[in-house]
Amino acid sequence: MKALRVSLLVAVAACGEGRAIFNIDAYSFMAGTGKDTIPYLIPPATTASASQVQKINLPPGFGSSVVDTVRITNGRANLVNTGGTGFIGLQLYVAADSLGTYNAGALALNIPETGVTGSQTVPVTITGDLSAGLNSVFTKPTVWLRLAATGRNPNATPVTGRMILTALMIRVVVKDKIF
Amino acid sequence: MRTGVVALTLAVLVLAPLRPARAQFSFDARRIGMGGVSLSRDGNLRRYNPAYRAVKNRADAGGAPKFTIPVPLGLIKFLQDHPVNQLSTDPMFNPDSAKFNPIEVMNLIFNPPIFYEVRKAPAPTNDVEFTIGKNAFVVDLGAAQVLIPEQEFGLGTSSRLLDIGSGFGGFRVGVMGFLQYDVGLTLDDSLRRVLKDADSVRANTTYRVLGDGVAQAGFAPTVGYAGRVLRGAGGDESDDGVYLGGALHYYMGGTYARATGPGGFTTGNPVFGTTPVALLDDTLYTSNKPFGKGLGGDVGIVFVSGPFEVGMGANDIGAELTWSDTKVQRIRYVAVGDSLAKTLLTNHVQSKTKLPITYIANAALRMGTGTTVGGDVVNSGRGTVIHVGVEQRTGPFAVRGGVSRDQRKKMQFGWGGGVRLGPIGLDVGFWTHSNSFSPKRGITMATSISVY
Repeated sequence: MKALRVSLLVAVAACGEGRAIFNIDAYSFMAGTGKDTIPYLIPPATTASASQVQKINLPPGFGSSVVDTVRITNGRANLVNTGGTGFIGLQLYVAADSLGTYNAGALALNIPETGVTGSQTVPVTITGDLSAGLNSVFTKPTVWLRLAATGRNPNATPVTGRMILTALMIRVVVKDKIF
Repeated sequence: MRTGVVALTLAVLVLAPLRPARAQFSFDARRIGMGGVSLSRDGNLRRYNPAYRAVKNRADAGGAPKFTIPVPLGLIKFLQDHPVNQLSTDPMFNPDSAKFNPIEVMNLIFNPPIFYEVRKAPAPTNDVEFTIGKNAFVVDLGAAQVLIPEQEFGLGTSSRLLDIGSGFGGFRVGVMGFLQYDVGLTLDDSLRRVLKDADSVRANTTYRVLGDGVAQAGFAPTVGYAGRVLRGAGGDESDDGVYLGGALHYYMGGTYARATGPGGFTTGNPVFGTTPVALLDDTLYTSNKPFGKGLGGDVGIVFVSGPFEVGMGANDIGAELTWSDTKVQRIRYVAVGDSLAKTLLTNHVQSKTKLPITYIANAALRMGTGTTVGGDVVNSGRGTVIHVGVEQRTGPFAVRGGVSRDQRKKMQFGWGGGVRLGPIGLDVGFWTHSNSFSPKRGITMATSISVY
């Protein structure tokens, strides 16, 4: 691990006063594990939520770095609705450990509700800057993400389906102060 | 005769091996203005060519001064920009500062701010992008990829810290102290592709830096001879003639150490699903007892004919030291406990080291019109550097220019001038250099005062 860290620091040193930019393909950690899919079942006249938690390993050695921005540059999901009419929103939580992702303060991005009805697939774009207060989490060697689907059903029949993530690329821009 | 000498001069300058070297830094603005060429018969010439011990060091050769005092304008500016009493909080030296740039620090080491930097070689400032996936890790250094060495890189030199003795009739007995070190590092193909071509780190793959370092020091009783074996047309009153020099050294090494082996890491599968395993598996050789012994020698020849002069010298020929009592250990990184483990492989065994052959070839042509042309090829233990320069003196004024081929095999250029007012001369020399982590050249302005 030390050798990897040294190698990375040497590589980053080459950027001089430039920035270190991390393009994290979070989807690649979730694809094929089942964690890229969130089933939902919203009873009539209620709200409900379901989520998946994923651990992301990052290069070590950036603990003292200062993160400038964290942005989702390419995020996509499909809402594969199988019945009922309602609304599905997405939230992304970020924390240094899995339990921390359930704290309200770990909310990094909120995607407004999208309407679903009957049997249909609705694409959703996930994009935007993550909450700046959580930037420092991305300097740690391990980051935990929780992707939550929150549903609202104002009608009399259940809303069922699943949210399938198809892309989630997070761009982390680190200011200098690498060492 | 002179045609032959000129032909030999050109041959020396053209056919000499083109590899890196030191001896390109000087405190003399005259030398810097000539691309690194020294027109006096001291310094490198006497160090590397034993025949020069017998050649008079003409004070008037090329207007050579008695001594030169550098004017360190660069040091003054550096101390203004970086006050000594504030070094602890200076962003340049404080890794906790957001402005800390390790490349700048390395550039400072490689290019000490003695003289004024007219144009600093810019440190690379491009962004570096890391793309991280479960089974992918791409490092895109952008424009800084040019800094990743294709071949072995490192540092080293072979120097003589001490050389005292006395003699008569050209013969000399003395003692020489020597210090030699060489550290070479080579990126393996996999790691080079990752850093230079932005190739993804792959699963279950080892990435290594191969290291080979040696350091040895000691002293050597020496007997030598230097003398004029043939006199030229100018007779005894002139320096014309052929000079030969040689020295035999009995090396007595004080101590040595050598380490070879790889350092790096091995990825798991997937790349970011498992922790990479650090790799360090080196072999360390150290001498248990002093007095590694060996024989070696220096030879040199100088030919002077009127304004022409050419010489060649080589040091430490055949210098192989035998160390009678050596310890050989294996040093490797152990992931459990995050520690280094030493294992004794063998002890009290014989081992051998070599001192690299260092050499110089030089030529100079002093015309009667105030023009002097010179060149040298120097290898001080880690490659060769070439200097070619010219000086034109007109009355109290001098104009100089030169070119050199440096350690990076890049052409560098020098130019400058000077004025001599009686016993005092003021010289300015400009020199391009690539002594920094930058693909672009910097320009240094050297200033010095010479006393004639």
